[in-house]
This record gives sequence, C-alpha cells and structure tokens, in this order.
Amino acid sequence: MMPVILARNVDKQYRLAKQDIHAVRGVSLSVATGEYLAVVGPSGSGKSTLLTLLGGLDQPSAGSIALLGQELGGLSDRALTRLRLERVGFVFQRFHLLPVLTASENIELPMAERRVPRAERRVRTRELLDYVAMSHRADHRATQLSGGEMQRVAIARALANQPAILLADEPTGELDAATGREILALFRRLHGDGLTLVVVTHDDRLAADAQRVIHMLDGRIAG
Amino acid sequence: MSWRRAVRDLLRHRVRTALSLLGVAIATALLLDMVLLSGGIERSFGRLLVSRGYQLRVSPRGTLPFDTDATLDSAGQLLAALRAEPGVARAGAVLGTTAFVRRRQALTPLVVYGVTPEAQGIYQLDRGRDLAPTDTTSVLLGTPSARRLGLGIGDTLRLVGRLDPRVAAAAVTRLVTVRGLARFVYDAKDQPSVAVTLRLAQRLAGPAAVNRASLFMMQTTSGARADSVAAQLRRKYPAVSINSVADMVAQFRLRLSYFRQLSLILGSISLVVTVLLVGTLLSIAVNERIGEIAALRAIGIARSSILRQVVLEGLLLTVTGGTLGVGLGIGTARWLDAILTSFPGLPAAISFFVPDARQLSTAAITLLITGVLAGLLPASRAASTPIAATLRNDAP
Amino acid sequence: MKRTVKPPFLVAIGITLSATCLVPARAFAQLRPPAPDSTIGIAVQRRFAEAARLRVGDTVQVSSAEAAGWRMALIVAVYEPLPDPSSIMRRDYQVRLHLSDLATLVRQPDRVDRIGIVLRPGIDPDTAATRLNRTAFGYDVSPSRAIASQSSMTFVVVSRFHRAIAVISVLASTVFLLCLMLLKVEERRRDVAMLRFTGISRRTVFIALVFEAAIIALAGSMIGAGIAVAASAAVNAYYQRAFETSLIFSQLTSTTMLFALALSVLLGLAAGALAAWRMVRTAPVELWSRAA
Ligand SMILES: Nc1ncnc2c1ncn2[C@@H]1O[C@H](COP(=O)(O)OP(=O)(O)OP(=O)(O)O)[C@@H](O)[C@H]1O
Ligand SMILES: [Mg+2]
Repeated sequence: MMPVILARNVDKQYRLAKQDIHAVRGVSLSVATGEYLAVVGPSGSGKSTLLTLLGGLDQPSAGSIALLGQELGGLSDRALTRLRLERVGFVFQRFHLLPVLTASENIELPMAERRVPRAERRVRTRELLDYVAMSHRADHRATQLSGGEMQRVAIARALANQPAILLADEPTGELDAATGREILALFRRLHGDGLTLVVVTHDDRLAADAQRVIHMLDGRIAG
Repeated sequence: MSWRRAVRDLLRHRVRTALSLLGVAIATALLLDMVLLSGGIERSFGRLLVSRGYQLRVSPRGTLPFDTDATLDSAGQLLAALRAEPGVARAGAVLGTTAFVRRRQALTPLVVYGVTPEAQGIYQLDRGRDLAPTDTTSVLLGTPSARRLGLGIGDTLRLVGRLDPRVAAAAVTRLVTVRGLARFVYDAKDQPSVAVTLRLAQRLAGPAAVNRASLFMMQTTSGARADSVAAQLRRKYPAVSINSVADMVAQFRLRLSYFRQLSLILGSISLVVTVLLVGTLLSIAVNERIGEIAALRAIGIARSSILRQVVLEGLLLTVTGGTLGVGLGIGTARWLDAILTSFPGLPAAISFFVPDARQLSTAAITLLITGVLAGLLPASRAASTPIAATLRNDAP
Repeated sequence: MKRTVKPPFLVAIGITLSATCLVPARAFAQLRPPAPDSTIGIAVQRRFAEAARLRVGDTVQVSSAEAAGWRMALIVAVYEPLPDPSSIMRRDYQVRLHLSDLATLVRQPDRVDRIGIVLRPGIDPDTAATRLNRTAFGYDVSPSRAIASQSSMTFVVVSRFHRAIAVISVLASTVFLLCLMLLKVEERRRDVAMLRFTGISRRTVFIALVFEAAIIALAGSMIGAGIAVAASAAVNAYYQRAFETSLIFSQLTSTTMLFALALSVLLGLAAGALAAWRMVRTAPVELWSRAA
C-alpha cells in the first residue's frame, strides 16, 4: 500500500547572515496509512522544521517528499495550498484560531474555502463540534474559550475537509496536564477512526500513545 | 462571512477604526464638494440660460450679453430680420439702462430692462398683468425694487431717465403704473430691477439709445439645432456676436477655470489622503495579524482569499467612511456655496455646487478604486507572507 | 479700468474698451484704403502687442461697434497695465486712446464714464460726496475708498472661500495626523510589551514613545513645509505664465508657515502622547496577546 508520506534524504538549511544552519539532515521517512507517529527530540533538533516540510509549508533544500504519492517539489504554490486544504490537517501549539470568529465559524472556514455548500457545511460543523465535545460553545468567539477548548476547536477545523493526514506540532504544549490528557484522548480516538497522525511533541504520554516514535537529534533521525 | 469577518476585524480596534473612518469621511466630503464645484457653476449657469427657453443670444460684436455697455444699432430692423430667419421661432430685444425714481429730494437708481413683452426671456411674471407690446405707461417691479420703493400693483411712480448733466435736468420723465411683480432671472441678489417696454427704455436712455438694444434673445424652432442655427446666423450677420448657450457656458468656463483647477487639486489630495489612511491602517492590521494569516495559509486558505479579505476590509472602511462623508460633504457644500454666491453681480439663481449624476458616479467609482488600491499593497504583503518562517517567529 | 487713476489728473479713461475692435493694419492694408482723417495715437498693452506682433511705430486701423468706419492709428506706446486681479480671468486685450479720439470713435462725443476729483486739503470725501449727490443729479459720486472696497469685493469673497477651504483642510489634516500618529504608536505594541516585560517603567516607555512621535511629527512637518514651498512656487510659476501677469497667486507667509508647523508638531505630539498613554495603561500581557 502507498504510504501517506514518503520522505527521501530530506535536507533543510537556513542561510543566515554568517553561518548556515542545518536544521534537517538527510531524513528519510515513510508514514503508512492509519499510522500514528510521534516525533520527539530536544529543542532545536529540527522537529518543527521537518513537520513544515512534510506538510508542504516550506520546500526542502535537498531530497524529496511525496504526499499521497504526489511529489511536493513539483507543485506550484497554488497546488500545494489546494493539497493542504483538501488532504492535510494542521494543529498548532498556539491554536491559531481566528479570534473574531465563533467556534463554528472557525470550523466552517476551510469548508467555505473549498466552496462546500452552506447547508452541508452546517451539518458537518455540527458533527465535528459533537466529535470534539464542543457543541455547547458553538457560538462563542474563539477568544472566549479556554486553551483546551480552543485546541479542540482547532482540531475540529483541521478535520473539516476530511484530510488524509493530521500534522500536529506540540498540540499540548500550551495546555495543563489535565487538558492535555483530553487532547490525547481525542488523538487516540482519531487514530482509532483510521486517521493518519504525525505529532511532534515533548509530551511523553503522547509519545507513549503513538504506534511508532522517531527521535530526532541535530536534524537527524536517531535510532 | 467575509463581510462579517471584515466588520469584526475592524471592530477589534475601535478608536483606530473610528479615527480612520472620520478621516476617510472628511476626505470624501472634500472630494464630493470638489466634484460638485468643478463644473457646478457651469451647469447652473447653463440651466439658468435656458430656463426661459431662449437658446441664442445676439450681442454687440466681440461682447457677451451684458458684459459691457455696448449696444446694438438699428435694433428694430435687425430684430425684424432675425425673426424672419428660418429656424428662429421667436426673438426679442432687451435694452438695459439706468433710470431713477425721484422721491422727495432723493433719487433712487433702478436697473431698467426694456423688453419686447411678446418675446422676452429675462423675467417671470409672479403677480399682476404682463406688459402690453406697445404700452409705455406700465412697469413691472422686481421684488427688491418693490421693497425698496415701498410700492405695489396699481401704484404709480415717476421714472427719471438718463440724465444730462449739461442741462442739469432730466432728459425724460415718465409717469408709469405698476402692473405686476416679476422675478428677474439673471439678477444679482437685491438688484433693484424693473421692466418696461423697449420703446420706453430707449426713451429713458436718452437720444443716443434710440433704436438700440443691449441684446436679442432667440428661441429656435423645435426641429432646429441651436448650434447650427447660430452658425448659419453668424455667417449672415457678421457685425454682431451670436452665442448659443453652449458658447456662453464655454466662455464662462474659461473665466472660472480657477475653480476647476482648485477642485481638481483638492479632489486629488483627498484621494491621496484616503489612500494613505486606508493603506496605513491595513498595513498595521496586517502586521498585527501576520501570524493568523500564516496559519490560515497553512491550513490551505489560498493567497487570493487572503488578498480578498484584506482588500474587503479596506473597501469596507472606504465605503463606510465615504457614506458618512456624503452627509458631511452636502453640509459643507451648502456652507461654501453661501460664501461663493455672495460674489457681486452674480445672478442670485446661480449655485456653485451642482450635482451631476455622471460626475458623481465617476467620483464614487474613483473612491472605491482608491480604497481597493490602498488595500492592495498590504493585502499582497499578507498574501505572500512565508508561512513557515512567520508561524515560527510569531510564537513568543 | 476699475482702478481709479491717481490724482492730481482729471482723467477719465475709456468707455468700454473691450467693445473696441482692433485690426492690425497690415492685414487690411490692401483691402481698405486709409481713411482721410488724420492718424490718431494709440497705446497698446504689452500682451496684445506680443500677440498681434505690433511694435511702436506700426500703424493699425481701429473701429468700434458704434463706429461707422475705420481710422488709422499709430502705435505710440506699448505699456504694461497695473496687474489687476479682477481682470485676470478675462483674456481680452486693452488699448489706450486719447479721450477725445475714443469718444469720437464710439460716437459718444463729450461723454465719459467717470470723472476723478481731487479735493482741496481738509475736505472730507464722504461729506463732499453726500453733498454732491444731494445737490445735483445725473451722476453718482462715491469716495475712492468706497469704490475700491466695492471692486475688491470679489476678492473678499474669494478669500472667504479660501479660508473656508483652509478650515476644512486643517480639520482633515488634524484627523489624519491624529490617526496616523495613533497607528504609528500602536505599531509599537509588541516592543512596548517587550520593554514592559523586561521591567522598564511605564514612565520611561511613555517618554520614549512620545519622543518618537515628536521626531516623526517634526520630520513630517519639515517635509510638509518643503512640499508647500515647492507647490507654492509651482502655482505661482504656472499662473503667472498662464495669465501673463506678475500677480502673486500663492503667498506663503512666515505666519502661515509657522502656524502649519506649530499645528502639525503640536498635533503630532498630542496624538502621540494620547496613544502612548493608552498603551502604557494597558497591561503588557494584553498588549502582547492582542499583537499576536
Ligand atoms: N526560519 C528559520 N531561520 C533560521 N533558522 C531556523 C529557522 N527555522 C528553524 N531554524 C533553526 O533550525 C533549527 C531547528 O529548529 P526547529 O524549530 O525545527 O526545532 P524544534 O525541534 O522544533 O525545537 P523546539 O522543540 O524548541 O520547538 C534550530 O536551530 C532553529 O534555530
Ligand atoms: Mg518546534
């Protein structure tokens, strides 16, 4: 079966004023459909950088990445954006919801971008709110929600267009332990429902939940 | 949702948005005023000129109607000839002169218009009876003269004609009866005018004015075009100036080019102000929200959508400010008009600020385009933000 | 023509000069034999002389709307009329003739528009005018001052209009400046939050913000002043050329300049202080979160 992600010898260098920073060095990685992968490692080891590359937010300096069999290197910005919209879900450490929109409006946003008919959008939003147990806060502005609530809405937003893979960068990083556990449970459920997950984390419990853990060190996969 | 989002985004910083709106409103008000001013007086003048249905004026060669004291010779014959021309429906003569009313010791000066009552385009009878074509004992008073003299319909007054200082006596004195009250279309505010028949006015103006007139006014027949009739008459009567309304408006436009230039400059400035205001506000808003924007790009929102949203916000600001500005502009236009219409000698019926549908819609579209353009720069910056780097830098 | 010519001469110039039609003699030399009358002297305005390519010593034929025929006239002088704002928009030309020649030409012998009178010392013009107006008739006597104020009415109106426009502009720029200053300071949100996080006092931050605003306001005002000087020079150059006159159209006085500079700097400072105050009052955490 075709892997959701296939990365080969991926390099990423940042050219700063004086020296080059080698954030990712020769990473090869394959993520199978339905896999739950955790990426761990010390700060500055290149986890976030790798995740941005896998999600098509940035281009690698060398090597290639294929998402669902499609080589990202050959895609235009427009096509990459489209791919992210339809096939990839992103969850950020700092949620990044639009503060002026309500919870349900935030979830509707990616669907509206895909021109899903309004009625369909409504139904799906309600389902998603149910799924993340946020129906009671549907009409609250993002700013009125707690961190855990915001992250659950953000996860619902990431799921809106039924992506093939969910990429999360330290999704529990800003949350207390109890709230983090809720998010953890949610990820477990998503995995159970067959979603492919790649989660960058410092959270050992999260890593323990994953099927596979890769350790990064100095831009390389260690062990 | 996009509009709602734009509104909410603007409401995030109320003071800032309110100030920007006020700025855009004032700029719009200025723009509106300048649009009304540029060409407003010409439109007003043009309308005034045809208000009584006379499209052509004949005046002494090289002059405009009532621009100088020059008069036309052989007025009777010329008028008869003009009336017989094809394309001319009616023609009338006007002689402007000064006469006095003697009351006790003092002499009150009056502006006297001698007219051919069967064809005149300078007054509108308000009350009473019009002059009869050959009547030399009647007068119509304008409101300012009636007020100044304290006279009404049925009263009599003694008109003292053009005075000759050498004999130190009035050349002509006529007792006339007030037949009606008229509104003189081209009069300045408070101008003490009266109308009598052409014959009487010529007598009052003295021996030099026999058979003379200041101008003729002509109506063309319904089928004929005023311009072509004017051209044809011009060839036939080279000794006089024949002007259509368009000609006179063009002359007028030349003299008032100052106002057009001023309005062009100030109008442009107000557009620049709008661009700067809207542009600055949006730039700062984009800067503040750059993290949000990068996240949106990450989850698959297209550049075009980001661009549209920012431009929409600018447009919203422009439209709202502009709408407020229209009210403000109408108010200031009234104020400015009151100042400008106090020009001495200007017909009271003239206004400097006259709306014109085409010009107004052009201005509105220009304003909208300005709003869009102002938003375009910050919008493109927002749309082209590097996603990964921005997301990374935005975190504390 | 409205300009009263200075005493002590009893001068009356011109009856409706604009009605006088001038034709350069060269153009008509073959068409019309010179009139038998003696040649008259005529002075023409420089602008006209240039336009019609006339020089002193040239001969022209003159006529008027009232005149029956043409008369030969010798150009004896080319003159520059006193710049008169009220005739600036009129593109017609002026010439000067001897009174008697003009009167004959317009067939109004022994008739003038206006007579200037010099009073004996100590006689009040207003009283004299009133007395003359009462005892005789056929003319209207007005003191020169009254005429001057009447003929300057146009400019009174125009300057009133300009003042109104200025009020609107000042108002607009006030709002504009306030707005820009506020935005400029608010742009500093993050830096302010940063500074406050690191323990810099409110006072210091406030002073720094106001200082920055003052510098922006000052620099902006200087640039604005420069633009104003340039624009004023351009306006003068343009209109003086367009109307062929030496009249000054835009006058940038030091008072105007100072007023504008002071206003913009003060407004900038006030707006900056207001915005800075709003900002230092807000808790740094909130500043930061609102910035993100
Ligand atoms: N845009 C960039 N410009 C310059 N250097 C960068 C950039 N992005 C990342 N880096 C550098 O690349 C290295 C890897 O960074 P990255 O953010 O991927 O680490 P991380 O493993 O996610 O760390 P953390 O656990 O602290 O989030 C770091 O040294 C970082 O400074
Ligand atoms: Mg990281």
